[in-house]
Amino acid sequence: MPPSPCALCHTNRALILRPKDHSKLCRQCFLTTFETEIHHTITSTSLFTRGEKIAIGASGGKDSTVLASVLKTLNERYDYGVELVLLSIDEGIKGYRDDSLETVKRNAQQYGMELTILGYDELYGWTMDQVVEQVGKKGNCTYCGVFRRQALDRGAARLGVRHVVTGHNADDVAETVVLRGDLPRLSRTTSIVTSTPSILTTHTNIKRSKPLKYAYEKEIVLYAHHKQLDYFSTECIYSPEAFRGSARALIKNLERVRPSAILDVVRSGEDMAKLVPGSDEGCGGTCSSSVPVAEEEEGGCGNANANGRTAGGEMASIEQHLAQSEVAAEHNLEVEVTTSSVNGAQNGSVPFTSGKKGRKNKAQPVPLRKLPKQVMGQCKICGYLSSQEVCKACMLLDGLNKNRPRNTIELGYEGQKKDQSINGVASGIEKLAVNGV
Amino acid sequence: MPSKHIPDMTDEPCRRCKENLPVLVVRSEPLCRECFLRYVQTKAIKRMESFRVRNAAPDHQRKLLLALSFGISSLTLLHILDGQLKNQKQRTGRTGFALDVVFVDIPNAETAASKEEAFIKIQETYPGFHYNSLDLHDIFEMASEASLSSLLCGADIKEDNTPTEKLASLVFSLTSATARADVITTLKTRLIVEHAKSTGCEGILWGDSTTKLAEKTLSETAKGRGFSLPWQVADGDSPFGLTFNYPLRDILKKELVSYVDLIGPSLASLVRDSPAATQASTSSKNTTIDDLMKQYFESVEENFPSIVSNVVRTTSKLEAPAVDSSAPRCHLCSMPVNDGRFGIHGWGGDQQDGVDAVATPGPPKLCYGCTRSIPKPATNTSNRS
Ligand SMILES: [Zn+2]
Ligand SMILES: [Zn+2]
Ligand SMILES: [Zn+2]
Ligand SMILES: [Zn+2]
Repeated sequence: MPPSPCALCHTNRALILRPKDHSKLCRQCFLTTFETEIHHTITSTSLFTRGEKIAIGASGGKDSTVLASVLKTLNERYDYGVELVLLSIDEGIKGYRDDSLETVKRNAQQYGMELTILGYDELYGWTMDQVVEQVGKKGNCTYCGVFRRQALDRGAARLGVRHVVTGHNADDVAETVVLRGDLPRLSRTTSIVTSTPSILTTHTNIKRSKPLKYAYEKEIVLYAHHKQLDYFSTECIYSPEAFRGSARALIKNLERVRPSAILDVVRSGEDMAKLVPGSDEGCGGTCSSSVPVAEEEEGGCGNANANGRTAGGEMASIEQHLAQSEVAAEHNLEVEVTTSSVNGAQNGSVPFTSGKKGRKNKAQPVPLRKLPKQVMGQCKICGYLSSQEVCKACMLLDGLNKNRPRNTIELGYEGQKKDQSINGVASGIEKLAVNGV
Repeated sequence: MPSKHIPDMTDEPCRRCKENLPVLVVRSEPLCRECFLRYVQTKAIKRMESFRVRNAAPDHQRKLLLALSFGISSLTLLHILDGQLKNQKQRTGRTGFALDVVFVDIPNAETAASKEEAFIKIQETYPGFHYNSLDLHDIFEMASEASLSSLLCGADIKEDNTPTEKLASLVFSLTSATARADVITTLKTRLIVEHAKSTGCEGILWGDSTTKLAEKTLSETAKGRGFSLPWQVADGDSPFGLTFNYPLRDILKKELVSYVDLIGPSLASLVRDSPAATQASTSSKNTTIDDLMKQYFESVEENFPSIVSNVVRTTSKLEAPAVDSSAPRCHLCSMPVNDGRFGIHGWGGDQQDGVDAVATPGPPKLCYGCTRSIPKPATNTSNRS
């Protein structure tokens, strides 16, 4: 078979089968197409304003590295006139972030961007190692998850930056649409921009956005590869083992069966967000006039990328939560059925419940059409977005601070051993990557 | 086989009647046969609340259409409704509604004779209803199906072809297994709707279990039909001028399997279920999005049953937009398309606006999802997978 020419320039040899639509492109046309699509996303949603300072949430992983690289390219090519800086969060788990933070430091030099690394100790007064020392290995995932959600916003507030961009890609969005814990989350996840009101004393909104929202994970990997970007690989996205049976695996399988499927899920999610009762998103979050509030702190530990990917763990915790709330609802039914007398069954069937029984549960079968609108306020301690008076992070911190041990200095040495067990999910994934490559 | 569900605690009696020995565990409750059958029936009949005798006008018999596929779910629904109607008749001398049953024959490996046999047998087992068997290609003969003909020009089909030829050419023109399954299902739904209308039924009863509705929700989501989901899974008014109801929506597929087993051969022998998804082809070429969802929920149902019902519940909470009769509709699925947003172009995720965006005002007006299934006119040669 003769080498086929690039479908766009018709000149160079096609080297890349584009995951999104299976078109055959040369290296240069692929890179340009990828960049142009991000540019399109940015301009069609008026994501940036001239003179704006934007912090890129940088983990050293492929998504945020590609994001930083592409934004730098586009800012120069199209003269957005924005100032880009890198913001990294260090959870304070000895050894855990070393390699990825080194990567971010190199990125900062490569792209000529200012880098700020903020530790949990600076943001919360506690490193994760200290938290583990205090609460033990069991409950520490809750802390890590809650702290992580707020960290970028708190960090941005410290830097006086009002806009944080993250590397969430189309696969991430599609996965959340499929998992669909609840409807408010559906709106948040499909919206390109979310906002977190009033952090700390600055009293300004922190805008969060995801310029890679329509970019496929596979294309991000290809872009990083062909651009020879320097990133820290924390996971192997092609390893089905890591996600077997999870929503993530489903997304990957859908992509195999129909390449456009990831994009189609995102489109469905946007359309459904408009149908959420009480939603003021006439535009599904694609226009900037209506902005859903950002992700409130949700429990659970993400993986190294903090993108909330499911490795089965999230599904289990969602299941547990849902099952509990179902028990209450089921109870009415149980009472009714138990009290009805059991007659002997004839001919394989049992007598059908009479009309009268149903009356007790008259309200039950009517489908619920009204959703109580989630009331979002601010934490009265830190000012962070919260549905409670005091946000989860402040509640956790309060508990920690009450029991703070006298000296916390000597923790470092033993830390290394603990690291292995602290974040079982993350270290497991890292191991997989090592084996898989 | 329910035997695998038998708990290890044979000394504990049925959680509900506290008398009989349990035969299976349902949502962590050990139940005896009678209590389990009652549990399933109660859940289904609860969903038929608005069709009870006392809601029926004395001078007007409401008529509903049951869509029968000979799968476990729709057969169970027929079995339960048959019992409910007999019960109503016995208690009040009349019924809350009349029931018609329709089966749509889709060309497949089964022989015509075995289908015929099944169709006769079902009428003997559940007599007293009006039964109809339709061929999928009948859709092309429905008077109101003019919109379909605009689809056919793309597939190189002439108006004077027979309905059989039209269907075959349309299906042949589709380029993937997903598209074929999608178009066939869509046409089947439309045929059942048209049949219901032409026979004076005011609503359609679908046999979908919780699991099936969850599959459908994610399947349609993956096919880009999120906009029409409320009309596809919620009880109540459909955009077609009649109601859709899913009386088995609170029952998991595995529970229906146990139900059929426990009722016995009188019901089980009628089942002509399609092969399980797990047996479906593993090559991605022949796998459909529907297959993937079926496999996914088979495992999710096993380990995370609440996630299955939550998918359905959250979807049922979506608010369908108001539909006025002049709303533009998709020529294939017939769903109202808000603001005439036809096609796959002109939104945030469409990265090539300007290329052929907005430039397709031509006849087949297809919604986003249907556009993905129907091949583009010959001028566009890109992406063929
Ligand atoms: Zn090229
Ligand atoms: Zn707070
Ligand atoms: Zn019992
Ligand atoms: Zn359509």
